[in-house]
Amino acid sequence: MKALLLRLEPVIWLLFGAGIMVGTLLLPGYLLTVALGAPLGVLPAHALAFERAHAIAANPLGRLVLLAIIALPLWKGAHHTRALCVDLFGNGSDALVGSLLYAIALAGSAAGVLAVLAI
Amino acid sequence: MARPANPHAMAPSRPGPTRTAPPQVPDDFWTRPRMRTYLLFDATGVVYLCVGLVALRVAWALAAGPDAWQALMTSFSHPLYVAFHALALAAALFVGVRFFRLFPKAQPARIGPAKPPPRPVLQAMLYAAWGAITLGLLVVLGGIWPS
Amino acid sequence: MSDVKKRTFVVTRFDPDRDQVPKTQSYEVPCRPDWKVLDALNFIKDEIDATLSHRWSCRMAVCGSCGMNVNGEPKLTCKTSLEDYGDTVEVAPLSNFPIIRDLVIDMDGFMEKFRAVKPWIIAAKQRAVEEGTYRQSPEQLAAFKQFSMCINCMLCYAACPVVSQEPEFLGPAAIALGHRYNMDSRDEGQPERNAVFRGEGTVFNCSYANECSEVCPKNVDPAAAINQAKLNAVIDWATSFVVRREK
Repeated sequence: MKALLLRLEPVIWLLFGAGIMVGTLLLPGYLLTVALGAPLGVLPAHALAFERAHAIAANPLGRLVLLAIIALPLWKGAHHTRALCVDLFGNGSDALVGSLLYAIALAGSAAGVLAVLAI
Repeated sequence: MARPANPHAMAPSRPGPTRTAPPQVPDDFWTRPRMRTYLLFDATGVVYLCVGLVALRVAWALAAGPDAWQALMTSFSHPLYVAFHALALAAALFVGVRFFRLFPKAQPARIGPAKPPPRPVLQAMLYAAWGAITLGLLVVLGGIWPS
Repeated sequence: MSDVKKRTFVVTRFDPDRDQVPKTQSYEVPCRPDWKVLDALNFIKDEIDATLSHRWSCRMAVCGSCGMNVNGEPKLTCKTSLEDYGDTVEVAPLSNFPIIRDLVIDMDGFMEKFRAVKPWIIAAKQRAVEEGTYRQSPEQLAAFKQFSMCINCMLCYAACPVVSQEPEFLGPAAIALGHRYNMDSRDEGQPERNAVFRGEGTVFNCSYANECSEVCPKNVDPAAAINQAKLNAVIDWATSFVVRREK
C-alpha cells in the first residue's frame, strides 16, 4: 500500500494543489451564498429559489464550478488530514490512513461527477 | 499533545560504535505558536473534507427537485449547520491567507521562457483573483445577475 | 566586571557508558554582556565541568557545527546572544537526532540522506579541457545560488515536524541541495535526482510547515526549494510518460 501511495504521489499532489488553490478561491463565495446566505434568508428571495439555482447549476460552467466545490476541497482535505494524523499519531498507520482518506476523496469526487451530471 | 519523535528519526542505516539515546523533541515542540498555526492549517483539512461532502447534498438536492431543495435550505438553517459553515468560512480564509503567503516562494525561477512575477506582485494578484471570484459568485448566486 | 550577570544553564547530559537516558545538569555561569550561548558552554567546559561535550568550530556562523536547542528552538549557539534570554537558559541537543553524548548528535543519518540526492554535477559526458570552462550567466546563477548557501548545520532537521515523524524523509537540507543541482545549468542529472525525490524519502512528505526556513541561519529558504522540487518532480514524472529515457 505504501508503494502504491508513493507511485500515486504526483497525481495526489496535483489534485491537492488544485484543491487548495481553486477550492479556497471558490469557497467563500459559495459559503456566503448557498451555505449561509440563502438558508438564513439574507439573500433576496429569488436569488437561490429552486428555478434560478437549478438554471445556474445546469449551465455547463455552473456544473463545473459546483463539481470543483465538491471535489477539490476533498483532495485538499484528505491530504492535510493525512498530514495531521502523522503529526498527531506518528507514521505507523500512515499508509492505511492515507489510503482511506484518498479513497473517500475519490468516492466523493466520483459521486460529485454523477450528481452534477444529474442536475 | 506531547508527541515524541519517532525513535528512528534521522537514524543511520547502520548503528555507530557507541550506544545513542533516541531522538528527542522539546516538551513544547507541538504547542509553540508557529507550530500551533501549522497544526491548525492541517486541521482545516478535516473541515474541507466535510465541506466537500456537504456540497454533494447541494448537487443531489438540485438534481432531485424543488422539494428537496427547500428541505436542504431548511436543513442548512439549523444552528449546527450554520456554525459548521461559519467555521468553514473561517477555515477557507485562514487557509487562503497562509497559502497565499507561502505560494509565491514555491514558484520556480522560470517556467520555460517566462519568469514568474515578483513575490509581492504575485501575492497581490492572488488576492485580487480571490476578491474577483468571490465577488463574481456573490453577484451570480446573490441574485444580482443574471436576474 | 560589574556587568557580569550570573545565569543558570540547564544542560542535557548523556554518557552512554553511565546513563540509561539523558538527564539535565545545571551550571551557574557568570556571563559577560556580549556573550553568546557558545561562550557560556565553553566557560562551563573550561572552568566548571570538563566532561561536557559539545561541537563548535568557527565561532562565526559559517561552519554549521554548533547547532543545538536553546530553550527548545534550534539555534547556532555561536550566533545566539544571551541578551535575548533570561536568568535560566536550557541547552539541549538538536531535536530529532540520535544523541551520541551530551550535546553531540549523530550526523550519519543526515550524511546518508545527503549522499542520496547525488549532490554533484552529473553530466552525460565529461567536459574536455579543450572545451574550456562552463559559462553561466548571472541569471542562471541566480536560479540556484540561494540554495547553495547551506552550511549543513541541520537546524532545519531539528525544526521540521515531518522529520520527527517520518524517518525516511530526505529532509530540508538534502532536498534543497538536490534542488540546487537540479537548477544548475551545468547539470544533467535531473531525472536521476527526481527519481530519488519520488522514492522512499519522497519530497511529498513535506507538508509545508515552513519551520525549516524559519530557523535557517543562512536564509537558504529550504521550504521554497522543497516546494519547487515537488513541482519539478511532478513535471518530470509527467514527461516520463511521453519521453523515453535511457536508464
